[in-house]
Amino acid sequence: MATVTATRLRAAGLALWGLVLLRAFADGRLALLLRDVFHPLVNLAGMVLLMLAVGLLLPLGRQSATIGPARRRDWLTLAASTLIALLLVLLPPNPSFADLAQQRPVDDTADAELTFVLPPAQRSLTDWVRLLRNQADPRLFSGEPASISGFVLPREDGQPLLARLLVRCCLADATPVGLAVRWPSDRPLPKRDQWLQIEGVMAVQAAPQGEELVLVPRRIQPIQRPRRPLEP
Amino acid sequence: MVAPAWLPTAWALFQGLLIEAMPFLLIGVLISGLASWLAPGGQWLRKLPTHPLLGPLAGAALGFALPACECGNVPVARRMLVAGAPLDGALGFLFAAPVLNPIVIASTWAAFPDQPWLLLARPLGAVVVAFSLCRLLALLPEEQLLQPDVLAERRLNQPLSAVTLLQRRGGLVGPEPASPAVASTRPPLLDVLHHSSGELLQLALLLVGGCALAAMVQTLLPRQLLLQLGGAPTGSILALMALSLVISVCSSVDAFLALSFAAQVTPGALLAFLLLGPVIDLKLVGLLGLLLRPKGLALASGGALLAVLLIGQWVNLWRL
Repeated sequence: MATVTATRLRAAGLALWGLVLLRAFADGRLALLLRDVFHPLVNLAGMVLLMLAVGLLLPLGRQSATIGPARRRDWLTLAASTLIALLLVLLPPNPSFADLAQQRPVDDTADAELTFVLPPAQRSLTDWVRLLRNQADPRLFSGEPASISGFVLPREDGQPLLARLLVRCCLADATPVGLAVRWPSDRPLPKRDQWLQIEGVMAVQAAPQGEELVLVPRRIQPIQRPRRPLEP
Repeated sequence: MVAPAWLPTAWALFQGLLIEAMPFLLIGVLISGLASWLAPGGQWLRKLPTHPLLGPLAGAALGFALPACECGNVPVARRMLVAGAPLDGALGFLFAAPVLNPIVIASTWAAFPDQPWLLLARPLGAVVVAFSLCRLLALLPEEQLLQPDVLAERRLNQPLSAVTLLQRRGGLVGPEPASPAVASTRPPLLDVLHHSSGELLQLALLLVGGCALAAMVQTLLPRQLLLQLGGAPTGSILALMALSLVISVCSSVDAFLALSFAAQVTPGALLAFLLLGPVIDLKLVGLLGLLLRPKGLALASGGALLAVLLIGQWVNLWRL
C-alpha cells in the first residue's frame, strides 16, 4: 500500500471543513445562525478551503524533503475534524427562540435604526417596535391594521408576547423585541416557541408603565418557522 | 436517554459561533502563510523596535494592516513569534490589533456615533492593555512564556547574538533545522500550503473547543442575570467583563452588541466590555494556548482582567 503523505491528510481535512461551510450555506441553516451580510463570506471561505485542498494535491512545484509520511498526529487531527464535520452536517441547528430571548435583555436600540415608515399593514413586528420607540404615544397607532409574524415568548409578569430576535453578527448576540397581544379568552394560550401569523387591529391597554400598544387579533394562524427568522 | 432541554439551543449557538469565526481564522492563516512565502525568514519583523514602549506600540500599529478579528490575529502573531520578532512587538500585535484596525474602529463609530469619547477611549484603552500585558509577560523568561514548539522555531530565527548556544537546540550542527540564512530563501509554494493547512486544522480544532465552551456557558448562564448585577459602578464593570468572556463574539461586531445594553450600564462597564473581549474570552482560550504556556496564559488573562477593571473604574470616575 502506498504511503499516505501528511499533505494528503491535510488536503482531506481542508476539504471537509470547506464542505461543511458550503453545506451550511446551501441548506439554509445560515439564515438561522448568522446575519445575512456574513453568508457570502462563509460561502467564499468554503470555496477557498476546497481550492486549497485541491492545490495541496496538485504538483504546484518542488516539495521539500521535510514533508514526509503522515504521522499519528495528522491522523488524529483528521479523525477529530471528520467527527465534527459529520456532527455539523447530520445535526442541523434547532434552537428554542423563547429560551434564547428569555435569557437576554430586550433590545433597546430599535429606535436608532428606524429609517422610514411603511404603511401599517406592511409593517413587520420589528417595524412596529421601532416605530413605538420613536413615537412613545401608543394612542397615535390605535385602530391601525396589522399583520405580523413571530414566535410566542412567555412573560413572567403577564401574557405572552409575539417576539422576534434581532442579530448583529450571529445567534450568540441575538436580542429580543416583542409586542403585546390580547389573546382570545375563549382559547388556551399558545405554546412557547410556536410561530404565529396574526392579523388584527392595534389598540391601547393599561400596563405597569402607563399604556402600551396591544394587537387585538382577528385571525391567528400557526405557521412554520420562516426561512429567515432573524432580523437585522 | 433524553437529551437536556438546553442542548439544541447550545448546539445552535455553537454552530453560529464556529461558522462565523471560521472565515476569519482562514483569513489569518492565509495572511500568515502569504507573509512567510513573500518574506521568508521575516527579517523585517526582527527589525521591529525592541524598546519597552515603542515595541508594543509598533506591534499594535500593525493591526491597521490586518483588518481581522482576534481569531485571525492568532496565526499572524504566531508567525511573528516564530520569525523572531521582538516579543513586545508580537504580543502588542496579538493583544491590541483586534481593536486597532479600521473595521473595528469603523464599527465602533457606527454603533456609537453620539459617544465620540468611546471612539477615542477604545483604541487608547486597547493600547494601554496591550502595553501593560507586554510589560507583565516580560517578567517571565521566554522558556516559561511560549509553547516549546513556538520557542524552538523562534530560537532558530533569532540572531546568534540574542540566544545562547544552549538555548538554540539546533540550526548550527546537523542537517535538520534550517539556519536563518537558509530560511531566507523562498520556500516552495506547496510547503507553505502544507504548513498553513496543518496550522489551520489545528487552530480549527482549538476553535471548536472554545466555541463549545462558550455556547454551553451562554445557554446555562442567563445573560439578564449578569446585566442585573450591573447597576453599581464596580459591579457593572465586573458584570460586563464576565459577559464579554462568555459571549465570545468578534471584535468587529461587538460594538453593535454592546449597543443593545449600553443604556443599562455605566460608561466604564461599556468600555470594559469593548476592551476585554478582543484580548481574552472563552472562545480564544484554546487558540491562545497554542502560543502561550499555561503560566503565560494565566498571567495574560489575569493582567487583562485587572487592567480592564482599572480602566473601567477610571472611566466611571471621569464620566459619572
